[in-house]
Amino acid sequence: MAGSFKRVGDDRVLVRLGHDEVAVLRGLPDQLRGVLADGGDEPVNQRLFPPAYLDVADVERDTEYHRLMHDDLVKEKLANLDLVTESLARGSTSVRRWTVELTAGEAAAWLGVLNDLRLALGVRLDITEDFDGDVDDSDPRAPALRLLSYLGWLEEQLLDAMQA
Amino acid sequence: MSTTAPVRERTEQHDDVAEPDIPWVVIVWNDPVNLMSYVVFVLQKLFGYSKEAATRLMLDVHHKGRAVVSSGPREKAEFDVYRLHGYGLWATMQKDR
Repeated sequence: MAGSFKRVGDDRVLVRLGHDEVAVLRGLPDQLRGVLADGGDEPVNQRLFPPAYLDVADVERDTEYHRLMHDDLVKEKLANLDLVTESLARGSTSVRRWTVELTAGEAAAWLGVLNDLRLALGVRLDITEDFDGDVDDSDPRAPALRLLSYLGWLEEQLLDAMQA
Repeated sequence: MSTTAPVRERTEQHDDVAEPDIPWVVIVWNDPVNLMSYVVFVLQKLFGYSKEAATRLMLDVHHKGRAVVSSGPREKAEFDVYRLHGYGLWATMQKDR
């Protein structure tokens, strides 16, 4: 079976996905945008924007770090999401599959978004042990765990393609 | 109101003078979701580690729970933490003592 991502030329990446996969992926960026927009101290935001300083003596420095850096980190993530959404809209559809060619910058954005989505899902699913991708069908979290597993499989393939 | 900022600046300068030689270390903590291959990729990209060196650090994170990935003055360490946070790694910094 052909992989989902393939390096083409110097630094471009060809994405080849099934129609059902693209449909799933297209629904995800807005969910992450929603999380980033509502900010606050929701657990997902705490994971995406963790403290820089742990020492209690450095509490003020940590507050200052977040004051200076948080908006820039959010902007980076939103820019990545925009690139992913745009490339998901741009791809071409054939009978068998959906394809799009990503620039190096777009591929990096896909990597960032796939990783952020997995971090967010990991928090929602309360993943605290290393997750090997195996999902027990009787687990009520099975659909979300399968999504986490699928996104990890995509991310692994994208990393391979980017470094090929 | 207007005196607050200058006082704070003096305090920070005093800190720098009092502790000129204590470097800061940047620590990456183990995380159950980030892929091992992703952590290696990010360490190579941000710090220029070889694949072997980045893999050793990743394995330290995985098995020992944490690894020091960079060190230096506070401003540099903070920038490194910021870049690691941009990639979703769980990174913190502290004085090396």
